[in-house]
Amino acid sequence: MNSIPDVVFFVFAALAIGSALVVVIARNVFHSALALTLSLATVGGFFALLGADFLAAAQILIYVGGIMIIMLFVVMLSQRPAATLERQTNRQGFWGAVLALAMASALIIHFGLAYKTVVRASILTPTSQAIGRLLMGDMVIPFEVVSLVLLAALVGAVCFASELPEGSKR
Amino acid sequence: MFEIGPALSRFWQIAQQAGTSHGLAPIASLVLVMAIQVGLAILGVLLVPIVLVYAERKVSAFMQARLGPMEVGPFGIFQTIADGIKLFFKEDIIPTGADRWVHIWAPIIACAPAFICYAPVPFGKNLLLVDLDIGVLFIFAISGVSVIGILMGGWGSGNKFSMLGGIRAAAQVVSYEVPRVLSVVPVLMFYSSQSLRQIALAQQDRWLYVVPKWFILYPVIGQVAFLIFLICSVAETNRTPFDIAEAESELVAGFHTEFSGLKFALFFLAEYAYVFLASAMATALFLGGGDGFLSSSGWIPSWFWFLGKTFAIVFVFLWFRWTYPRMRVDQLMSFCWKFLLPLSFINILLTGLWILWR
Amino acid sequence: MTLYHFLVVSAILFSIGLYGVLTRRNILGIFMSIELMFNAANLNLIAFNHYLYPGNVWGQGFVLFIITLAAAEAVVGLSLVLAIYRNIKSVYTENMTILHG
Repeated sequence: MNSIPDVVFFVFAALAIGSALVVVIARNVFHSALALTLSLATVGGFFALLGADFLAAAQILIYVGGIMIIMLFVVMLSQRPAATLERQTNRQGFWGAVLALAMASALIIHFGLAYKTVVRASILTPTSQAIGRLLMGDMVIPFEVVSLVLLAALVGAVCFASELPEGSKR
Repeated sequence: MFEIGPALSRFWQIAQQAGTSHGLAPIASLVLVMAIQVGLAILGVLLVPIVLVYAERKVSAFMQARLGPMEVGPFGIFQTIADGIKLFFKEDIIPTGADRWVHIWAPIIACAPAFICYAPVPFGKNLLLVDLDIGVLFIFAISGVSVIGILMGGWGSGNKFSMLGGIRAAAQVVSYEVPRVLSVVPVLMFYSSQSLRQIALAQQDRWLYVVPKWFILYPVIGQVAFLIFLICSVAETNRTPFDIAEAESELVAGFHTEFSGLKFALFFLAEYAYVFLASAMATALFLGGGDGFLSSSGWIPSWFWFLGKTFAIVFVFLWFRWTYPRMRVDQLMSFCWKFLLPLSFINILLTGLWILWR
Repeated sequence: MTLYHFLVVSAILFSIGLYGVLTRRNILGIFMSIELMFNAANLNLIAFNHYLYPGNVWGQGFVLFIITLAAAEAVVGLSLVLAIYRNIKSVYTENMTILHG
């Protein structure tokens, strides 16, 4: 703990992992959604720690300001009054935990330990211009394709979510 | 003359060196100085609703041919402080059917982002907390977080009408965010930067020695962008004519029906802080914040110009409230998606053509 | 802060998300765990970009696309959830057995 980024990293890590645990364990779906919002915001903080300033702002703008709001809407619209008393986990709890622990240890031991000595080397520079040049230069085709995908998602979502009048054909 | 920006930065450097020479580690003195700066900034942002509430009551009173608050202090200056003290001592009621923690955290999450958003705003020459390279995007991202507070307020109240009010308010805010961000994109394209300070600096130039090069004065693109930004900011902060979600005669009081005392005060603090923030952004982006009328330097300091222009736009916000009737929810939504959004796209196209041909 | 620390955090987040996907009954809970897994992968990509390839921003560009596509997928999925709820009045996966043999 010899510098501010280290302290900030540990605080963010504790927040992210703690709120992720609340997401998968909480009985109340609304509380899960709020904990997920906190977790996503802390991941945005990690992006900022790693020098990706544009992506940190984009993560908070899109995830917290967009996706989580939709999810909170759906949670609010599909909640029954007595739902908070129901059990939220199915009977695969034990084997799920075993698999999750196995996955975590495999990732950390097999892939992580190799990078124990890689230290932060670069100074943090603003990335907006570099990302702009990348998107318009080398990555322009995925950029255009993603816009088509978003259009398809928009149309699909409106189709699925709109009310169907009685007896009409789509 | 009277510029406090450079003097303040020098002051913080001296404070840091004083801390280090008195035995603190350099990091500790840096953190301490930053903490003091943040504390002062929070105090400053807390001052904003006090001034704005009083201004709103006086302006609305004069527009309605009456006097407004006159009892507390000369011309009623201390009225807001009296109101704040009253709200502080009110009983804090949490409804039985409400989710307790959601009810407690909703006003905090609605209000805290407003303070964070003031960081990259340049209140004068070199007078800002931190010159972020992604300043504009940062402000839009963080102000999106308070929508979660509105939803929590609606849900945590435990009654269906508050929930409906919260959903309506959140839908309105999220819909109007889109043309708002798109209307700022021409400014970003023009000045190739997202830093509010650099955009404000780039506008401190003159055509023919007289006409300032503010973005609002560019023939079509400037005015359209400014108007869309202004209208969307009025809708974002849930003010009339877009205040269907919280108006007195609709849905009781919408999502903040069941909040009393300090929580209610926090919701209103958030609203006024966002009004001032939107005006400050409009000044920095469109009106060349800190730029004088005749020349960029002189006897009148830059922070005076910035605050003057910001308060002029705040006055426009207040003016709207007592002039226009309220829009219905469906009128509101179709206005946003069918008129403002295509208009902002056309604006981006026109700005692109302008940049190509200059 | 070495790369190892970021990889550990991302691995833990990923496996918590995996546990959530396998054990939640509520379909919205499953969605939220999937978002956790997406974010763990994003964190991994940005960490590798910052530590091993500090010169360019390809990792960040990729992450931008992942965020966008995750948003599109969440929108479509959640509208599906709304349509399902409208039909069977439940969001628990045990009740969604129409395709059962």
